[in-house]
Amino acid sequence: MKEWVIETKGLSKRYKGRYAVSNLNLKIEKGDIYGFLGPNGAGKTTTIRMLLGLIKPSNGSVHIFGQPLNKEKLSILRRVGSLVEYPSYYGHLSATDNLEAIRRILGAPAARITEVLDIVGLSKEARRPVKGFSLGMKQRLGIASALLGSPELLLLDEPTNGLDPSGILEIRELIKQMPKQHGITVLISSHLLSEVELTAGTVGIIRQGELVFQDTIAHLHQQAQGSMSLIVSEPEQALATLLQQGIAAKKSGDALLFANIGDHAVARIVKSLVEHDHAIYRVEEMRKSLEELFLQIVGEVKPS
Amino acid sequence: MMLKALSSDFLKIRGKGLWFLIFIGPIGLIAMQALNYGLRYDYLTQKYAGKLWEALLVDIQMFVPISLFLGVTLIPSLLSHIEHSTNAWKQLLALPISRGAVFRSKFALSVILLTISCMVLAAGTVILGFSLRFELADMPVGEILKLCFLPFFASLPALALFLWLCINMRNQAIPITLGVLIAISSVFTGLISSTWSKWLPINWPMFSFAGPQQELFVGAGFLLGAVICLLGTFHFIRKDVS
Repeated sequence: MKEWVIETKGLSKRYKGRYAVSNLNLKIEKGDIYGFLGPNGAGKTTTIRMLLGLIKPSNGSVHIFGQPLNKEKLSILRRVGSLVEYPSYYGHLSATDNLEAIRRILGAPAARITEVLDIVGLSKEARRPVKGFSLGMKQRLGIASALLGSPELLLLDEPTNGLDPSGILEIRELIKQMPKQHGITVLISSHLLSEVELTAGTVGIIRQGELVFQDTIAHLHQQAQGSMSLIVSEPEQALATLLQQGIAAKKSGDALLFANIGDHAVARIVKSLVEHDHAIYRVEEMRKSLEELFLQIVGEVKPS
Repeated sequence: MMLKALSSDFLKIRGKGLWFLIFIGPIGLIAMQALNYGLRYDYLTQKYAGKLWEALLVDIQMFVPISLFLGVTLIPSLLSHIEHSTNAWKQLLALPISRGAVFRSKFALSVILLTISCMVLAAGTVILGFSLRFELADMPVGEILKLCFLPFFASLPALALFLWLCINMRNQAIPITLGVLIAISSVFTGLISSTWSKWLPINWPMFSFAGPQQELFVGAGFLLGAVICLLGTFHFIRKDVS
């Protein structure tokens, strides 16, 4: 049996008769990076708040490290680091003092402050009041606070929200090395698939409070395989040419669409079209957006 | 566990104007009387000859309740604002510390800060009397201490109530408005009726020094303060943090 770091059973939260999260069964393996995906308002933040004991579930249970959260909250939280939505900070204090305020509660060694500032690359700015920080720096300070207690589990709620591309890349690299270097299990939520697909091992997709997909990223890729689009000079004739050779294609505007085809098939199609004197303007891979993926996954799951 | 939170809270209030408020309150009270006695020195010293210290205490006492009510409103408000401004509650309460300890720490910090105010007031009173060349041998030490501390104990219910309100309300304008209204009306509510004015907690700070049965009002202040603080803690432990 696998060792689940987080396991929720039938987790639900009701606000005024409406379910923000309903019947959620999350399973997160030790040492994994779990990408928690869903559009805005799907219930990601509500779930993470329940995992941290900030709000009480209406139904269901949360077990973290195999212990029930409602009974062992403090000993569990001692081993968890978190960053919930927008970073919280004390603007009038310096980065060091912000961490010191948290360290006094955690009881972590004082040297840990320099360590975490170093990890997130804020050592040079440590003495400046945080209110003058850029959003990216505040976000990194938030991650430093999450790491301060040397946690075994990190819960990061949209850690790259509002960051510029280089900041996103930096944070992504930072998160990637957590399991490898420190053996930390990470749950990272996002509304962008592209955001987690490079880091996460497992993804859970939540939609309107319900978990509609939970599997490894490889399985998700299989389900979400993109199609190839060819833009050619005479689409009608090209379609006919290909049909003669037994290659199925769909025409949409000036483009021909091919679903689920491998590299060799693409090469063959291009070759035969060129041989038939068609001009090929573009060969594009159409990757499905998260929204399309959602529709596909929801469509498959709903009837069962 | 509360001590950890308290030590963290002491760090957080740096540079937030709390220390300034703690000292400026009592110093303002003393400065007002310094002006009063400085301008009418001859008249007042003649009028109150032989009971100069007592007269000074009565003059200061008039303004103690109103300043206390302002203090017990503004201190919890500034304290909570530190957490409200970037919604640091969600970060603080996700740390391995019980919510009860967080609430008690804020209450304890308010009490410590306001106690310092009371001590500054006591010291200020002595220094003022000394500078006005009042007879040192006549100095009523016990009365000075009573004036400076008993009304504060009697205002603990208000402190607990405002801490509860300020922590729970994102919009600090509401508790502050309420606090200022209470502070101003506290000047008059003691005079409404001789029979039931004493039942209003708003009058307890005044009666705890000025009235007969001072100990009753002090005791009632401690008791009601503890009850409200418990209720506030209980509510804070159960509420959802958004």
